[in-house]
Amino acid sequence: MSYALIVAEVRRGIFEERNLDSIGICAQLGKETAMLLPEGQYSFNEKMVDSIVKVKAGEEVFLNPLNMAAIIGKIAETRGKPDFIVFTHSSSGTEAAAYTAGIFGFPVITDVSGYDKERGVFRKSYYSDKLFGEFKTIGESAAVLTVRSGSFKEFAAEKSAAPNEVSVEDVPVSDSRTFVEYVEEEKTDIDITKADFLLSVGRGVGNKDEIPAYEELAGIMKAVISGSRPVIDKMWLPKARQVGTSGKTVKPKVYLAMGISGAFQHIAGMKDADCIIAINKDAEAPIFQYAHYGIVADMHKVRDALKGILKG
Amino acid sequence: MNILVFTKRVPATQEEELRLISDGKDVDFSKLPFKVNDWDNYAVEEAVKIVEKGGGAVTAVSIGSAESDEVLRRAIAMGAKDGFLVEVDQALHDPFARSALIRNFIQKEGTPFDVIFTGVQSEDDQFASVGGILAALLKLPYVSMVIGIDSVEKDYMIVRRELEGGLQERVRVATPCVVSIQSGINEPRYVSIMGIRKASKVERKSFKGTDYDAGKDAHIELVQWTYPPKKGGAQMLTGELGDVCAKLMEILKEKGVYQ
Repeated sequence: MSYALIVAEVRRGIFEERNLDSIGICAQLGKETAMLLPEGQYSFNEKMVDSIVKVKAGEEVFLNPLNMAAIIGKIAETRGKPDFIVFTHSSSGTEAAAYTAGIFGFPVITDVSGYDKERGVFRKSYYSDKLFGEFKTIGESAAVLTVRSGSFKEFAAEKSAAPNEVSVEDVPVSDSRTFVEYVEEEKTDIDITKADFLLSVGRGVGNKDEIPAYEELAGIMKAVISGSRPVIDKMWLPKARQVGTSGKTVKPKVYLAMGISGAFQHIAGMKDADCIIAINKDAEAPIFQYAHYGIVADMHKVRDALKGILKG
Repeated sequence: MNILVFTKRVPATQEEELRLISDGKDVDFSKLPFKVNDWDNYAVEEAVKIVEKGGGAVTAVSIGSAESDEVLRRAIAMGAKDGFLVEVDQALHDPFARSALIRNFIQKEGTPFDVIFTGVQSEDDQFASVGGILAALLKLPYVSMVIGIDSVEKDYMIVRRELEGGLQERVRVATPCVVSIQSGINEPRYVSIMGIRKASKVERKSFKGTDYDAGKDAHIELVQWTYPPKKGGAQMLTGELGDVCAKLMEILKEKGVYQ
């Protein structure tokens, strides 16, 4: 049977919304779908897939790439080889996708955000969305994909019949890599998700010594300061101030992005703000595609001019 | 502990305009500066830190053109003992082909290691796949997105993986293994020009990529490059800086976040 195997991502019992993008791309590919889930009850519309394969294992075992490759091997034995194996483009999805491709010798394309049906090509980001590469797989073997969140969910639709459900038992569990525990981020007194007005700085800030002047500007404007990954990685702002998939998802009234080029992981964390204003030297910066207002300028000059007006 | 760490030379594309040439078959890199891949810089630092504390040696390996020697010199300046360049004349877009070449190189040269570090991804292709495929090909356990190494024991490590929304996962992984290192795990040390000059005196070994071709046929093919799809796009505020900032303040007032 020709089908696509979707490896669902569940975290602490929650069915991640980005699984809808995995379902959506399968609709675009015109494939019947079998969705792999760990044991437990999940809240989502099961009618969107043709069958559900429940794996008799908890999510800690299920999301381990070593175990996942073995589970997929078992399923291929009984159901036949899938045409596609689809993962979310997330920390654990991408980890398991690459490992699975390596184990079975399958082609892999990650961070897929587009599919051209007529030409059979997959589109993926290069250079933080400054360019996209169009790829075809070579040969007849199953292709492994990871799918960018938000790219295909509009194509996820209900099927006419409820899915059949089967289970996989005797899951092989690796002892060379094992889950210990989840670790929560330290609680801090600042919660950027509650702010109405965020002034967010990115890589363009260039230098740690420039940060206090932005904090000062934020203070005058009554904005809360936040940052994108490069600024947090360099420890110029604390982790609790990070906007993006690995940090916080924010929906302020105004998001003022200064020197942020707009890597997808950042956009995913702020795209639902009521008003996005982007300031960047590079007129081609991807963030201008998502912003409501844009200014092509040196962020430091804008900062100083704003201070001049406000102190004026 | 002996650590093999992979480091890649990539074009610095932040704030640079990328131009397609030959009908989208190529990207014009002629005017771009090159640099070490950001994630690899963190991986080299982490490897050096571990060895400084517990002994052993770091070997930096780069797959790429002859110019990739500069990222090896950089790694040596940071504390790597050796630098190996596996020279290939064409970019390997397929992570499978890249991983198979690395597997062949490691097996053929018998390079000893307890752990292999890669960066989570490279800034250019962002596949985030080489570590995982390589681990599978070498039949080793794999852990990706490592944002903290809590302990290094004789035959295992305890590491923290970065998940989404500030959550982390602590895992135990047996060595030897392959680990992909996330940016922000450490503060990479500063490398001075003097340091790199000094590192240049350490001999780097060079290998021919064509000696490690077995089973590295590409599984995917690049059809062409395209510019990003245009969305709505922003309304651009233009004019003198003072006027632009005044317009910006008007918007803030209109949105009710500044009085």
